[in-house]
Amino acid sequence: MNELLPIADGPEIRGQARRLGRHHRRALLGMVGLHAAAATAGLAGPPLLGALVQSVQDGTTRAHIDKIIGLLAVFLVVETILTWFARRASFVLSEKMFAELREDFMRRVLGLPLSTVERAGTGDLVSRTTADVDALARTVRFAVPETLIAAITTVLTVAAAVWVNPLAALPCIAGVPVLIVSTRWYLKRAPAGYLWERASYARLAGTVSETVEGGRTVEALNLREERVKRIDDDLDNAYNAEMRTLFLRTVWFPTAEFAYVLPVAAALAWGGYLVSQGQATIGEVTAVALYVVKLADPVDRLISWLDEIQVGATSFARLVGIVRVPPDREAKDDEPEDERMRAEDVRYAYYADRDVLHGIDLDLEPGERVAVVGPSGAGKSTLGRLLAGIHPPRIGLVEVGGVRLVDLPLDTLRKEVALVTQEQHVFVGTLAENLRLARPDASDEQLVDALGAVDALEWVQVLPERLNTVVGAGGHALTPAQAQQVALARLVLADPHTLVLDEATSLLDPRAARHLERSLASVLEGRTVVAIAHRLHTAHDADRVAVVEEGLLAEVGTHDELVEEGGSYAALWDSWHGDR
Amino acid sequence: MIKLPFTDPGRPDTRSPVRFLLWVARHQVSTLLAGVFFGVIWMVSQALMPAAIGRAIQNGIVADDNEALAEWALILLGLGATTAAAGVMRHRCAVSNWLQASFRMAQVVGHHAARTGPAIKKKHSTGEVVATITNDAMRAGGAFDITARLAGAIVSYFVVAIILLRASVPLGLVVLIGVPILVLLMGFVIRPLQTRQAEQREEVGKLTALGADTASGLRVLRGIGGEGAFFLRYQDRSQEVRQAGVRVALPQSTLDAAQVFIPGVFVVLVTWLGARFALDGKIDTGDLVAFYGYAAFLVLPLRTAAEAVDKITRSFVGAKRMIGILEVERDAKEPARPASDPPALSTLVDNVSGLVVEPGKMIGLVSSLPDEAARIADRLGRFGDGDGVVLGDVPLADLSTDTIRRRIVVSEADPVLFSGELRRELDPWGRIDGDDQEIHTAIEVANAEDVIEALPEGLDAFVDERGRSFSGGQRQRLVLARALLSEAEVLVLVEPTSAVDAHTEARIARRLREARQGKTTVVITASPLMLDQTDHVFFVQDGRVVAQGTHRELLKTSRSYTWTVTRGEDL
Repeated sequence: MNELLPIADGPEIRGQARRLGRHHRRALLGMVGLHAAAATAGLAGPPLLGALVQSVQDGTTRAHIDKIIGLLAVFLVVETILTWFARRASFVLSEKMFAELREDFMRRVLGLPLSTVERAGTGDLVSRTTADVDALARTVRFAVPETLIAAITTVLTVAAAVWVNPLAALPCIAGVPVLIVSTRWYLKRAPAGYLWERASYARLAGTVSETVEGGRTVEALNLREERVKRIDDDLDNAYNAEMRTLFLRTVWFPTAEFAYVLPVAAALAWGGYLVSQGQATIGEVTAVALYVVKLADPVDRLISWLDEIQVGATSFARLVGIVRVPPDREAKDDEPEDERMRAEDVRYAYYADRDVLHGIDLDLEPGERVAVVGPSGAGKSTLGRLLAGIHPPRIGLVEVGGVRLVDLPLDTLRKEVALVTQEQHVFVGTLAENLRLARPDASDEQLVDALGAVDALEWVQVLPERLNTVVGAGGHALTPAQAQQVALARLVLADPHTLVLDEATSLLDPRAARHLERSLASVLEGRTVVAIAHRLHTAHDADRVAVVEEGLLAEVGTHDELVEEGGSYAALWDSWHGDR
Repeated sequence: MIKLPFTDPGRPDTRSPVRFLLWVARHQVSTLLAGVFFGVIWMVSQALMPAAIGRAIQNGIVADDNEALAEWALILLGLGATTAAAGVMRHRCAVSNWLQASFRMAQVVGHHAARTGPAIKKKHSTGEVVATITNDAMRAGGAFDITARLAGAIVSYFVVAIILLRASVPLGLVVLIGVPILVLLMGFVIRPLQTRQAEQREEVGKLTALGADTASGLRVLRGIGGEGAFFLRYQDRSQEVRQAGVRVALPQSTLDAAQVFIPGVFVVLVTWLGARFALDGKIDTGDLVAFYGYAAFLVLPLRTAAEAVDKITRSFVGAKRMIGILEVERDAKEPARPASDPPALSTLVDNVSGLVVEPGKMIGLVSSLPDEAARIADRLGRFGDGDGVVLGDVPLADLSTDTIRRRIVVSEADPVLFSGELRRELDPWGRIDGDDQEIHTAIEVANAEDVIEALPEGLDAFVDERGRSFSGGQRQRLVLARALLSEAEVLVLVEPTSAVDAHTEARIARRLREARQGKTTVVITASPLMLDQTDHVFFVQDGRVVAQGTHRELLKTSRSYTWTVTRGEDL
């Protein structure tokens, strides 16, 4: 049922990478310059040794030798220092570029139309905001700079060999055909293999996480051996993935390794011939041979990071792909005239041609309390979301004070109407941070007041660090009731005139729910409320009850009117109340 | 390659990390030895390459002897071929060693976690257990992977030292003593790097958590307009990660520079001494080139040794964590000698609370304190020692847990729906073969038809991790269907309809009653819609049954009962 979020194609990826590069042009050039300088200093060894060999051959003094070795030492020091600066520059730069990249990505994610995210399932988005960001981190931190450095070193090493003696340097390319053929073969298959590996371990992590998290279910349903088998199945899958990549390396490694030795032997044989022909000196041949030996390291690094870069590119494509999602709203500057909410002929479909709402009209009087009831799947929650401006209606309009909700900028919209659902999400961070999401400039006093208003101060006072206690995943665990109170305190802070409550207390045990309802009462005071109700006493207390059935408003009226009418609400009320 | 995972990974020795790792090693001695064999050939053949190059230059080029040159070039190629062949074999052995060790450890820890049930969560967070299996076990395998290269490094270090010792004692000593000192020196650079990397990992972990938060909390954020504030927090964290990265950059670039400098010092020293010997005629030109080559080669064993120290340390840390998980014991203990099965349709009695569950009835259990009800469910399902509960005339404590789980199934308040094919998740025991009819019937009882209809693949659909693509209400109905499919003689349902609306609840209550005809069902709930369908209701206060009767009787006779089931509203 899920259609994935978009993935960027080749030109888009390259365009994005180019933009990023242009933005950091100077820093990039500086870094490349430093690496080139460091690599150049590193190239002094072979010709100096060549000179040493030549002068020993020709007869020389100790002083001359000491001078050459002294030079070797100087170049070593210079190379070390330049390497330090170059490495540091590239680490710092890659951190900066990557921070920019992920922040830009996150800004886009936060603006995504919710309907798109829901169609794709949160899973896809979670894997992009976590796994893909992490995968790209490795690429940006290591693969890209390493490849760059290796490429620079390779080019300069070949250039140096040519500079020593162009003719003698010819064998440099002896390994190239072998390398190209085997590496192309490898790279065509490797990314899929490594992605499979990674996915297989992610699956294992998921299975273990479920097993531990659902330990109680595992025990209750006698699924212990079944879970053991699942873990083994996942490991089996991981093993197959490992075997696939091992096979690829088994073919590629030895050919590559042999391709590094081949030019060395060729350089020596060819060099010997050139020396005998008088076309090169022993020193030159030695230097070239040593350059060719030296070449193995950067070439090896260059090609062994290539698959990582390919993997990184797929993650990059998934991050950049978010840009393709069209926005579902565009803010205009109309100001609402008053606080009156109105829905007219509202229709909505999550999937094309499958409307879940078939034309709903509902006017809300400021300050009134409307309960929406109806069976699961009737469209209650969808109606709630449209009333809160989360989704734009497919046809029809939802407006406040004469302005369509989707024409309001998000932060203005939330001063008008807010939505709280049964979904309780406590964000990772301190309690204060969790509350300030609704109002970033709130003072500590205002936070305490808001907690007081929802009757939460009692437990907040005894938290280890009170407002600064870290909550959410991995932090201090809040009970569902506490989480719900935090959500309500956020509402107090956001202070909209209209609230949509979607089954806000339904997942709680009766006692906690009762407690929470008292907290809720103070939040609702003086606001227009649309309560999507599971429990009938919520409906009983409301000013009006709206019964939604199959995407239509079946009944609207006060509790008493509806009971009188004897429709589906009345039937339900009777069975709940036990008067049959 | 040995086929993994193991059918039986065995019983680990958990007395200490060393014993644990040795226990793992004992199972793969032959692969370890093969790895060492190829590792030594691989690295020694590389160590000998400078000698071949030196000879080619001396005997071939300097002596102007084409035949000798060709010969040495071929020898060089032969060494290259040996390196390549031994290298790939070494790599295969290393991977096999790593996988065997990692998989064995992941299996013993994973299996233990699965078999310990809820006990493990009391001592370790889920994240910890996941990390121990997917990170620690996998990393700890690194110590086995590195053995092949470490052996090669040690042997080739001695080979080079001996070659140089034979040419000159001081030169040989420089290498012999210098290498271990340099390994130690590198250790000094590596340690602060690791500390800062750990800090960086922690920061990255926090940012990742925030990233996961964005996706899963987007709906909540949208509801209150918290996107802007959230982004600022993300940006702050992101910048902190960046700062942590910059802090890593310092020791990291120092290490990189040290990896240039430390071997470079060798090259300078060895070449300097070599050149003097060559000048004095003690060695020839080819030897001088070879010396330079040896010195450059020593980087490899040096780095390998540093890496080995790192990997072995990590595997110790990992082993310690694994042992921590392996030490957790299951709450539900098996009796030493299980009693024989009580006959079908036995009465289930909880002597602690006074609850009597007659066979074939649908019983309601109401408590004003949900924890109390949960404790009773715990006892009925024997999640702990099972004191006080009797089935027929056999105490639950005397029955094997397998028997109890087969006959009594407790579906707690918020059970986990596992990921996988929906059909298999609804019937994880694989009781039903081929025919989906029974599954559809259970789905109908749980009033979850609409959930299945919304899935294009129906029962073949894939359930996401912990069923999170379903709403709370959908999930609750699906797990109810799963509980029904267990076909348990006694089914204990804890708040089975807390997340569904009143319409649906009424429907489920009616259908549940029909479906469980002839079997025993206990429903722990405070919902009047559900209680109205039961045969008999027990009302519990302070852990004891204080009133019983039908729902309607209790509504008339007990004020506190009425108060509990109508949530204190005076209706």
